[in-house]
Amino acid sequence: MRYWVGLCVLILTILAISFVVAANINVLVPSTNVRTLAEIYLKYTYYPWDKYFTAMSPEACTSIVWDFRGLDTVFETMVFYLAIIGAIALARGVPLKLPKEIKGDLGLSLIVKTVTKIVPVLIIAVAGSIALHGHLTPGGGFQGGATAAVAPVLILVVFSQFYLLRRGVNKNSMLLLRSIGLTGIGITAFAAVLIGLATGHYAFVLQNQPKPLAPDISLPAFVGGQLISGSLWFFNFFEFLAVAAGFTIVFLLITLPEKLAEAREEKRVAEGGEK
Amino acid sequence: MTLLDTVLIVIGEIMIGVGALADLIAAIGMNRFPNFYLRLHAATIGTIWGSFLPLIGAALVAAGCKCLGEYRWFMSGGALVTSFVILILGPAGSHALARGTHRSGIVPVEPKVVDHLEEDESHPTSQELQEVEEGDSP
Repeated sequence: MRYWVGLCVLILTILAISFVVAANINVLVPSTNVRTLAEIYLKYTYYPWDKYFTAMSPEACTSIVWDFRGLDTVFETMVFYLAIIGAIALARGVPLKLPKEIKGDLGLSLIVKTVTKIVPVLIIAVAGSIALHGHLTPGGGFQGGATAAVAPVLILVVFSQFYLLRRGVNKNSMLLLRSIGLTGIGITAFAAVLIGLATGHYAFVLQNQPKPLAPDISLPAFVGGQLISGSLWFFNFFEFLAVAAGFTIVFLLITLPEKLAEAREEKRVAEGGEK
Repeated sequence: MTLLDTVLIVIGEIMIGVGALADLIAAIGMNRFPNFYLRLHAATIGTIWGSFLPLIGAALVAAGCKCLGEYRWFMSGGALVTSFVILILGPAGSHALARGTHRSGIVPVEPKVVDHLEEDESHPTSQELQEVEEGDSP
């Protein structure tokens, strides 16, 4: 009975869609007029003729996220890094180090390892293009960073954690990278104010292009003829570094071999520590 | 439109059609095949015949379509690179899944003619596992 009901629903759906498409009813066919909302976005994202109200970036999402509501995004970034700091604090004292000797083969078979030698390079390249083109095409710092963090996960699963640790991808180096990213976001947020202080003009925090109350200060929209949209490129780049490093730390911690933690705990108890 | 463009577009469309058919067959296989290894076979049909081949076809169609302007080479190149990535990732992923399943021995290898991997390894055979399961049930 259920089988026949499902089949009827499927056939009716197909027939309905075919009818709508064939009869050219204006439900699925978009209108050719530009809607009011679209006009607003066109006017406030990339519109050099009105220099006080444009973000100078053709990508509406990045304009909104890092320019129109930049302060919101700073707080969102803070929430994300507080979560990562929480994970690191939970794993306080956990030995993320190489053991003295490793017995046996680590990781998956040779076939998978060979393919995994090629793929992370592609992943990092795509992630970099997503992040650095974030002000021109869909994407941005967070998406690029999340994509880049897939490469260490792949290596963790296929080659084992020790492969990454041996090459210097450990908690401390990733914390350094993450701190560089967060400091960069902070400096970019205050860049307009610092320029304003140095030149004696009025400016806002998180300011990108000139504003009616601060008409003299703006970050460069073009560098060497290339559109970088003022602060947006820098925000995307530093967010990329911070997100990729933050996710890598969390993945390193959650794939920690349990035996290592047990061995350390036993050693601590043997040395007279409390259980 | 030259003859070469027409040939490219027709070949590309045939490849996309074959891909759609292979995806349908793979979906039926995923639903109807009785155990893990057979379903894995259906899944890889969906990856190679259902993703790799239509992407090559899309690259050919884009290359033959002059109306897209210069951007057709971007689309064509993107499709070719994606198809290459799928070509190397699909077999590696299914190999890793099948190997892990076989080593852990949680799925009986059926239907089976010969299993050299099982003879080489010291894990419990699927027959022994079945006997254990039968022994457990009252």
